[in-house]
Amino acid sequence: MDDKYDLRGLLFSTFEDLIPKVLEGTPLEDSSAQIAFGLATFAVVNIVFLMLFFSQFAILWIERKAVARMNDRRGATTALRSLWVGENGVTAGEWWNMLPFGLGKPIGGLNKWLNKKFGNRDEKFATVDRVNNRSWMGYSIFPGFFQNVADGMKFLVKEHMVPQRADKLIFEVAPFLIVSSTLLILGIIPLSSGMYATNPELSILYAIAIFGIAPIGVFFAGWSSNNKYTLIGGIRSAAQLTAYEIPLLLTLLSVAVLSGTFNIIESIHFQHSAGAWNLFLMPLGAGLFLLTMIAEVERVPFDMPEAEAELVEGWWTEYGGMRFGMLFMAEYIRTYAACFLFTHFFLGGWHLPFQGLISQIPLLGDAYLLIPGAIVVLVKAWLVFLLVFVWARFSLARIRTDQILEFGWRILLPLAVLQVVLAGIYRLYLFDPTAMKDTAAGGWAWDAFGVPMLVPILTTIVWLGIFVLFLNDEDKSGNTERMFHVYTEKPAGTYVPGQE
Amino acid sequence: MAQMWITMGPQHPMTHGLWTLRVKVDGETVIDTEAELGYIHRGVEKICEARDFTQVTPYCDRLCYVSAMTWANSYIYAAEDLLEADVPERAEYIRLISAELQRLASHLMWLGAFGPDIGNLTLMTWCMRDREMFLDLLQELGGSRMHYNYPRIGGVKRDIPIGFADRMIAKVKLFEKRIEEYEMMLDESTIWLVRLQGVGYCNAEEMVEAGVSGPNVRAAGVNYDVRWAHPYSVYDEVDWEPAVEKPTSVKGADCYDRYRVRIEEMRQSCRMVLDAIEKIPGGKNTNYASGDEMIYTKAPTRAPEGATGFSNYECTRGASQFYIEGGGEGRGKKPYRLSIRSPMFITIPFVAKTMIGYKVADIPAIMGSFDPCIGETDR
Repeated sequence: MDDKYDLRGLLFSTFEDLIPKVLEGTPLEDSSAQIAFGLATFAVVNIVFLMLFFSQFAILWIERKAVARMNDRRGATTALRSLWVGENGVTAGEWWNMLPFGLGKPIGGLNKWLNKKFGNRDEKFATVDRVNNRSWMGYSIFPGFFQNVADGMKFLVKEHMVPQRADKLIFEVAPFLIVSSTLLILGIIPLSSGMYATNPELSILYAIAIFGIAPIGVFFAGWSSNNKYTLIGGIRSAAQLTAYEIPLLLTLLSVAVLSGTFNIIESIHFQHSAGAWNLFLMPLGAGLFLLTMIAEVERVPFDMPEAEAELVEGWWTEYGGMRFGMLFMAEYIRTYAACFLFTHFFLGGWHLPFQGLISQIPLLGDAYLLIPGAIVVLVKAWLVFLLVFVWARFSLARIRTDQILEFGWRILLPLAVLQVVLAGIYRLYLFDPTAMKDTAAGGWAWDAFGVPMLVPILTTIVWLGIFVLFLNDEDKSGNTERMFHVYTEKPAGTYVPGQE
Repeated sequence: MAQMWITMGPQHPMTHGLWTLRVKVDGETVIDTEAELGYIHRGVEKICEARDFTQVTPYCDRLCYVSAMTWANSYIYAAEDLLEADVPERAEYIRLISAELQRLASHLMWLGAFGPDIGNLTLMTWCMRDREMFLDLLQELGGSRMHYNYPRIGGVKRDIPIGFADRMIAKVKLFEKRIEEYEMMLDESTIWLVRLQGVGYCNAEEMVEAGVSGPNVRAAGVNYDVRWAHPYSVYDEVDWEPAVEKPTSVKGADCYDRYRVRIEEMRQSCRMVLDAIEKIPGGKNTNYASGDEMIYTKAPTRAPEGATGFSNYECTRGASQFYIEGGGEGRGKKPYRLSIRSPMFITIPFVAKTMIGYKVADIPAIMGSFDPCIGETDR
């Protein structure tokens, strides 16, 4: 079902009405349709890009806050006020004075005015605020949210250094290759059926192709820095990304097989029309997708290419200033794009949970359907980021290189092949194409033996059972090498040599 | 692949201090290593020759910046041996409690630094949170958080404050539960196990021959704890037993054994202080004034001609030994020669050689599992 709020349609119809009237009588009158199309596209692309880009600050904030709670700390809490607290030594500092040609003077003036108008009049908060800008009169607005802005400002005013014997051209090209290819991913991510920048016919293939460009940039960066740590990091990254690209491709292939399309928006429509999200039809595929995506974006536990314990900072050791900032941003955009892709492929995109059932209820159902699709997508993506990426990062350790590669080639690859076969079987034998319905309630295409929705329910139960079995599979007596064992034979402190 | 030397250090996350590990790698495999020490050599032994016996204690505090109390105690026992001072039993109990609290804080610092070595950042903040409890307790005794200058020749600087016992019991009991929390997070994580088990094997015989001591050899099944083998202080009166891990492989102890033995040692320290605070002579809720005969006996300041003092003390990283040769004519108040035996100075070059054959990614895991401290290594 299409989203109620059709930004794209609204803009296109507005421009198509407006432009011919404006251009009437001018030499451009004949091409007014093309000009309207161009302007509308430009507007839509910019709006979607800015929405995706600036909502990215939310995931940085989510990570900061969630991690602070997991670590029993309040976390970095630079609030909005940090931008107008002008004392020396605060997080942001008087950064406006560093901008060239006195461009920052107005900001400085605004800051002074804000300080005078809204500064702390209460002495007891003054010290606290000077130390970490936590509050205004004891209140704080989005504490920690503006830390990212402060960090970005810091990166902007830092010096850019190139190592003396580096390959200068490649060293400069690599970040742009990584950042530009990463930004291109945002082009095909829809926020809802009426809010997307572009919708190519084969957008799944396009996403994968674009995801595959960044590893080349990573390898360039590692090789050209003329540093042994970056070299090892770059090679590790190349090995890891190629090993995990293949299971990822196969997982997406199984999504395409199940939905019968290579288009992201159509696959979302399929999930709603058939009645069940892909998560419940292929939990294995969802798990594989998340695992391979964590490896693709190089986060813990698969962050071997930038393992800071032995490789300092891996392949980006030599980058400083805004180039480091851009690489860092690119990593988060890739993570964010991974969250969006998971939302679209497995969590039904802009469709609300239990939409089919709740929309049947009068009044409440109508109100439920009023929630904009873009909000649903964003909330789902943020939840995926919080519950998978952040949680994994701060509760797990890092896996060694050879273990990562072994895991990828020997476990993930066969499972991904199995998932493709399963998707084919589901599509051919368990799927009822006549029951597809593109209404608010959706269809019931996964019924079996007369039981509604038996296929997704049974699949989920079976895979959950397998998961629980694998959780408790430790054979504590058989393994002499003690791999995967939790407890030593005797607890420490009870063994005295010579007394046995 | 081509072989190359990588210089890790002196500023490197793996080092836990200032030293250089030069590693020759073939691809990802370590084929040769070389340890370079001495970046923060301060000449403590020489400085001490120009100081009174009482003035040496703060320098010993600074030998190891995460385990100041045990190093100061270690010196104090050598000085008391030299000056033939008597120590009241209450002071011995207080020293035991302070040293064991310091051991808890030091092992927590080790675990906190070991987590990021493996890639687990949460462990760092959790351990720092719990270490804060013990630093607060030590601050109540010594007055500062890091370098306490607490023990005196013949006793301790001041008695335990009123209420200290209750606060300590509450915190230690809370910490015993927190240890289980750590085990839930670490021992039940497969990633933590595959990173530590089967990595960094060290044979017990080789370690003993090289002179490695402390938890590192106890992880390999060597039941040698100075507190147990040669009880100094009142370690033979309180309830505890040394933490010795039974190695499961003929190759010796791996990183996981060393992690387990330190966790167990924290448990034993908790058990020890909870017992000692009940057995303390003079009662746990009394506070004697500084210099009271319950906590301090005046010791001679001048060492007899030709006298020597020696202490063998179980620091948090192994057996530390002090050897002091007394003055002589005109130098009676100052040591003629003071020699320090640091466990980590022996351990670090030994560990560097055990890394050969493992992967580059195992270097921080192996090095971190031995708990390096460069302050005491370089002295």
